[in-house]
Amino acid sequence: MASADGGAYSFSLTTFSPSGKLVQIEHALAAVSAGTTSLGIKATNGIVIATEKKSSSILIDDSMLEKVAVICPNIGIVYSGMGPDFRILVAKARKSAQAYWKIYGEYPPTLVLTQEVATLMQEATQSGGVRPYGVSLLVAGWDATRGPMLYQVDPSGSFWAWKASAIGKNMVNAKTFLEKRYNDDIGLEDAIHTALLTLKEGFEGQMTEKTIEIGVVSVPTPAEGETGKVDTATARPKPTFRKLTEEEVRDYLAL
Amino acid sequence: MECSFALVGKDYVLVAADTTAARSIVKMKVDEDKIKTLSPHLLMAYSGEPGDTVQFAEYIERNIRLYHIRNFHPLRPQSAAAWVRRSLAQSLRSRSPYTVNLLLGGYDVASDAPHLYWIDYLGTQAAVPFASHGYGSYFALSLLDRYHNPDGTLEEGLATLRRVIDETAKRLVVAPGNYKVKVVDKNGVREVAL
Amino acid sequence: MSIMEYNGGSVIAMVGKDCVAIASDLRLGNQALTVATNFEKIFPVTDRIYIGLPGLATDVTTLRERFRYRVNMYTIKESRTIEPSTFAHLVSSTLYERRFGPYFIEPIIAGLERNPATGELSPYIAGADLIGCLNFAKDFVVAGTASDKLFGVAEGLWEPGLEPEDLFETISQTLLNAVDRDAYSGWGAIVHVITKDKVISRTLKGRMD
Repeated sequence: MASADGGAYSFSLTTFSPSGKLVQIEHALAAVSAGTTSLGIKATNGIVIATEKKSSSILIDDSMLEKVAVICPNIGIVYSGMGPDFRILVAKARKSAQAYWKIYGEYPPTLVLTQEVATLMQEATQSGGVRPYGVSLLVAGWDATRGPMLYQVDPSGSFWAWKASAIGKNMVNAKTFLEKRYNDDIGLEDAIHTALLTLKEGFEGQMTEKTIEIGVVSVPTPAEGETGKVDTATARPKPTFRKLTEEEVRDYLAL
Repeated sequence: MECSFALVGKDYVLVAADTTAARSIVKMKVDEDKIKTLSPHLLMAYSGEPGDTVQFAEYIERNIRLYHIRNFHPLRPQSAAAWVRRSLAQSLRSRSPYTVNLLLGGYDVASDAPHLYWIDYLGTQAAVPFASHGYGSYFALSLLDRYHNPDGTLEEGLATLRRVIDETAKRLVVAPGNYKVKVVDKNGVREVAL
Repeated sequence: MSIMEYNGGSVIAMVGKDCVAIASDLRLGNQALTVATNFEKIFPVTDRIYIGLPGLATDVTTLRERFRYRVNMYTIKESRTIEPSTFAHLVSSTLYERRFGPYFIEPIIAGLERNPATGELSPYIAGADLIGCLNFAKDFVVAGTASDKLFGVAEGLWEPGLEPEDLFETISQTLLNAVDRDAYSGWGAIVHVITKDKVISRTLKGRMD
């Protein structure tokens, strides 16, 4: 039998079925589909990522729940699926971003960070003694090379860039809705409203600032870009990703 | 004391090394061959800490041979030099570094050109028209600056080498008595008489 | 005997008007004995970044190979060319990785930095010590066995806003005259002037004694 550390004979749980499928990954996708809906829309001057925040009991203090996470000043992510798995990925993504900063003195481009996280998720489909991550991610970020970018990462470790996408319980309906509403010259403000409208489709219960979380990427203006990579006052990079406060979310919902 | 010399001519490289194996102030052997044939067109003269020299030279020799067997063609002089240098540079920062100095002379059959590399135990590598290790360098390099002809024939190269060895014998207090001289050209490696 | 002076050699970089220049001598020595007079210490990193690596010769080759590897990996992974400021940080972190067993090199970086917003290219030079402490300069940076002399001559000859040809003359005269007063540097020199559309590389004859 396998030794304590797994040893050479510890087989991966993810094993091909005769039909060529990796059933464990399909189960992981099922876990994602059972999760609350999240979506992301790329606009001309930014990106919005939003999610529904649902707690199983009214007694839970939902101020603790965080579904949109800041990874580094220019990148944020949101997930659908298993919360604990997401927490691990957030911690690893943040560490990876800081490791990049320590080498190059700047934060990673969205593509590089996404690739890093996708690699972590792929490793969980081929290693011994582990199961795939039960989450899909939407990664939104801005960098000087590629501008604003929105990526989706799945439990298999595959990832694509999107103009708009949705994951989780209501993803099929939400995507159809987005396909109808999306156009290439949508502005950030319109995108935020479209995001809320999309979430409203199939939303269970009341949509309030407590049950919605929003993150936005705002593209720096050329003037802001001129001043360079860091804010001269604080000597820190100017954040291009930020989470909307409850007040801001309330204002958007009121409109 | 150990001396080795090498020079590049028109289409050959001449490599010479003394043949003394000494321990402290005592000559133990006077016909030691300190030039290895690494591959059909590659020579390596080695000197330095006794013990390290043979160990390291054999390690290099066998790995270059292994490359030849695996890939059905030998490593080109440039690549061989780079690999040997790297081995020494890695050894330098290990717990017990090799103290070996090398002259690598080769003929690149692909580009029909002779190559000579001066490599020391630190992993310093230089592509040069002529080179020397040991106390002989102090006489050899200035003579070679004056008399070396990069387009010279083998006879001319041998004459220059003879000059260098004679001067070393004349001026160096601890000059070695005998040398082995090898040449590498498009026909491969052979030993020549001085 | 200092390990930094074992092989000898010097490098200097200067800022000009929309251009930068970097130059070095060509000597490789074993203390006072000159082994080679064709030993280059400056290497291209990208089309518009060069790095000079004066110091222990074995580490010149090792670091050149390491930087080439890391820049190649960066270029492939990120599918973009590295900028001078990013490369300078890469150099710094590579050296600091070996804080307690350093490479005996004091690198000098020269390049043109592209502003991501406007696409404009501006001169960038930087120096570092052997454990990667960066020094950004607006005028010139020097390193190697003749660094003290280079400082003096450069201080006297350099002026702001030099055009490529004038910058070439200034850096060449600075280097040539500084290494003539240093026994461990000299025996010819090589100069690279990096401009918007091309790099001008010239080898110079120096005093060969």
